[in-house]
Amino acid sequence: MTKFLETSVDKFIFKVATDCYYNEEGVWARAEGDKVRIGLSDFLQQRSGDVAFAELKPEGTELSFGDEVAVIETIKVDIALSSPISGTVVQVNPAMEDAPEAINQDPYGEGWLAEIEASDWEAERSKLLDPEAYFARMKAEAENEVKK
Amino acid sequence: MPNKIPEQNPRKVVIVPCSGIGKTYGTVSREAAYEITEAVRPEATQLVALSLLVLGDESARAAVAANPAVTIDGCKLACATKMVQESGGQVVQDFAVLDVYRRYKQFRPKGIAELNEGGQQLARALAEEVAAVVDEVEGGQHG
Repeated sequence: MTKFLETSVDKFIFKVATDCYYNEEGVWARAEGDKVRIGLSDFLQQRSGDVAFAELKPEGTELSFGDEVAVIETIKVDIALSSPISGTVVQVNPAMEDAPEAINQDPYGEGWLAEIEASDWEAERSKLLDPEAYFARMKAEAENEVKK
Repeated sequence: MPNKIPEQNPRKVVIVPCSGIGKTYGTVSREAAYEITEAVRPEATQLVALSLLVLGDESARAAVAANPAVTIDGCKLACATKMVQESGGQVVQDFAVLDVYRRYKQFRPKGIAELNEGGQQLARALAEEVAAVVDEVEGGQHG
């Protein structure tokens, strides 16, 4: 069962899953068997707002680290998300078509975006932030936003 | 000479949109409310401002207490729906702009003080969905 690091900033509570690695923009990656599942962190989904649509790169797409993997349209912004790993998209979460609000409701669970067959997960994992590092970064960002 | 029985005012469906400012979806909710009450079903609906309910305005509270209400919320806080319920009203249908937009992806709303063409089209589409509910309520009343 996933455990979380948690912090309150102003009236918001943000969770960071401890079984994921994160890129700087807040896309998480979690190894599941020989695949890596990706999604939005709780902070990223809360900051972005309610998701209207999520467009993912189709299955079979080959990605390099940092390539655009999805575009999310929310009530506030459009955001292009970069892939935290290299590899091939093997599955897009079917919920993204009919119920993209899953990203807001359960960002580390039902709201996952895609599964990727990673080219070299072990090597690329070192380019990502571990949960503690992302938690510290996220907390600082959240506190800065509250001050604005 | 027998007393004339006074005509009763027919019940009208109350439309209560979001009052949020500075948000595109709030503007869509209000545009849809104007569309339904002024153009699509003016004879069967009446607009009640959410802010009057918040203030406890007696006539606004009386209107929602005496008539079925359709609420149009701009975000998931659902202030319009909650306020109608707290005012003793019966919400027959609550619409969330985001849910409606998901059904009309081609009408992408932008703008706040003034909506773009997509936003206006979305407001009209939303008004038509509200009209269908109003017709159902009216049919139930008259049928």
